Amino acid sequence: MATVVPLAEAVGNLVHDGDSVAMEGFTHLIPYAAGHEIIRQGHRGLTLIRMTPDLIYDQLIGMGCARRLVFSWGGNPGVGSLHRFRDAVQNHWPAPLEIEEHSHAGIANAYVAGASGLPFAVLRGYRGTDLPSRTPNIRPITCPFTGEELTAVPAINPDVAIVHAQRADRRGNVQLWGITGVQKEAVLAARRSLVTVEEIVEELEPRPGAVVLPEWAITHVSEAPLGSHPSYSAGYTVRDNDFYQAWDGIARDRDTFLAWMDENVLDRKAAR
Amino acid sequence: MSTTGADRGATRAGTARTGAGDSDAGPAGATRAEICVVACAEAWRGDGEILAAAMGTCSILGARLARLTFEPGLLTTDGGALLTAEPVPIGAPAGPAEGWMPFRDHLWLVQNGRRHVMMGASQIDRYGNTNISAIGAWERPASQLLGVRGAPGNTICNPTSYWIPRHSTRVFVPEVDTASGVGTDRAARLGPRASRFHDLRRVVTDLGVFDFRAPDGSMRLVSLHPGVDAGEVAAATGFAIHGLAEPAEPAGPAEPGTGGEVPRTRMPTGEELRLIREVLDPGGLRDREVRA
Repeated sequence: MATVVPLAEAVGNLVHDGDSVAMEGFTHLIPYAAGHEIIRQGHRGLTLIRMTPDLIYDQLIGMGCARRLVFSWGGNPGVGSLHRFRDAVQNHWPAPLEIEEHSHAGIANAYVAGASGLPFAVLRGYRGTDLPSRTPNIRPITCPFTGEELTAVPAINPDVAIVHAQRADRRGNVQLWGITGVQKEAVLAARRSLVTVEEIVEELEPRPGAVVLPEWAITHVSEAPLGSHPSYSAGYTVRDNDFYQAWDGIARDRDTFLAWMDENVLDRKAAR
Repeated sequence: MSTTGADRGATRAGTARTGAGDSDAGPAGATRAEICVVACAEAWRGDGEILAAAMGTCSILGARLARLTFEPGLLTTDGGALLTAEPVPIGAPAGPAEGWMPFRDHLWLVQNGRRHVMMGASQIDRYGNTNISAIGAWERPASQLLGVRGAPGNTICNPTSYWIPRHSTRVFVPEVDTASGVGTDRAARLGPRASRFHDLRRVVTDLGVFDFRAPDGSMRLVSLHPGVDAGEVAAATGFAIHGLAEPAEPAGPAEPGTGGEVPRTRMPTGEELRLIREVLDPGGLRDREVRA
């Protein structure tokens, strides 16, 4: 049963120090507003999970919120590296960051297993790579029907999943469309969930290809207009490509980064 | 990850010219980047109706060029989640869509295998093991790279090629620091059942084209780009490439890897140059990826 509450209250209710937090959204619908609220509330020791960590995880890592990162690709899309992520792994600044590296499909299937109430997911990939030696969470498994050796990864059941969507109705049913990632899988796998939306509407008009998350699968919905900036919400906002370019210079230097976060995140309140 | 020019083994020999005697040669003046685009396109020849998943400018241009010319059945994207009805200029909006390929569906396609991917690599070794994960000790790397992304699944499930814009000893290493993509030696050790979909096709670089069809599954010269000599490639590679030795004697028609005349990458045709220059990449992004 979803309840519609202000963003600061939702994050306060749902995210606790030491939690595992999955923030999904691929290229588009990335939940920046919620990430900034986590930073403002000063959470520590988080295990961050995300198939494709981009600027929002660079910010969370650089602000010292994360202890661990589960991921398959970490970069500034179309621009280059995430400098705060690299600084944390290479130089332990501002704190050491433990990483668990997977393939894209590994994380996607681990969410599906989590959402299905199954203990693990099965993949053909990983075999022959060095990844199984890096983590106990990638292990061989033998198919009981064919005898083929495959790879198992444990289900991901995050403490909290956070996604951004275009719309919700007042009961908390959510509708999202455009380039979809694994938002549905992450929300259904999570113990608690927060969906930020561009707007709350009286009725959700059906749309071909849209993903619907029913209110019974969601804990809180918060209205956060422009909440996916600098990524975008198809039908509402466009991607701020200039910001992704600018972030390279902002994040390259620790002091410049901290000054930017002070001015643009810490000194601001959540939209409502 | 781009490499710097400082570790290059040899000074570049200048832009490629149409080689005398190249029967398939197009107009003179094709740049090295344009030769690379056509060499990338050739990687998808014969693939038919499958998804051409391309990363990197010349690779993306190559996939779209192949579809516009000799491989019309290829599925190409707008660089995002749309399958385009026609190959579009690089960076342009998708235009009419032929279909949707959201991330989740793309991952199913990887499992299913109707896909030939051309990826980049920060390191590649003689057996085609690749690294896009970390340089140095994995526990605390000297350089944390982007992460393995789709490489473990791609290489074990799909035909895989590589596009490496700067051939250098920094990339072509004796042994990768972390294997994120599976090479022929590791695939062989997994046995025939696990490796039955493993299919490393070719490596295209700014200097030449290579495959893994040496008798021991190691890297073999397919062709050098016009204007490139074997010594230049050897100096830019941290291991011996099969068939790269200086030509012993100019005997007979050249078979890759058998010595004799060094095989040359074919020049773009006039129509291919027109499509590259006027249709697919009028802004000249290709020349920013591959230096003349």
